[in-house]
Amino acid sequence: MTKHEFEVAMTCEGCSGAVTRILNKLGDVKFEIDLPKKLVWIESDRDVEVLTETLKKCGKEVKYIGIK
Amino acid sequence: VDLCSVSLGVEGMTCGSCVQSIEQRIGSLPGVIHIKVSLEQKNATVICDQSQQSPESLLEAIEDMGFESSLSDSSR
Repeated sequence: MTKHEFEVAMTCEGCSGAVTRILNKLGDVKFEIDLPKKLVWIESDRDVEVLTETLKKCGKEVKYIGIK
Repeated sequence: VDLCSVSLGVEGMTCGSCVQSIEQRIGSLPGVIHIKVSLEQKNATVICDQSQQSPESLLEAIEDMGFESSLSDSSR
């Protein structure tokens, strides 16, 4: 599986909690969140566009950084 | 238009930024006229056009954002 790095404009545990719940709903992904650095690492075979759109659902700014 | 006021419980918000993103995202849905989210009361009050949004569709939209939502009260 490919590990992607995203920057998500999270400011608190509420934000990262929302991201966690959204990604859990997606199912077959493994992910890690670094709140202080505002980074989300996702291990998935899905398209980057799909992952980006999913992250955007929480209403935060999302930036794709690249493959880790 | 047929307006209704919907009050929804929202769990999982911890700061003003969460409130703002919900207000922005839900506020931009079709048929939503006004939205007020309260961090202290953990709820959202939405005034919307009944023909375009229902309490259930708003609930779904908030859940889709990663927050837990419940229907607390709706009045027409």
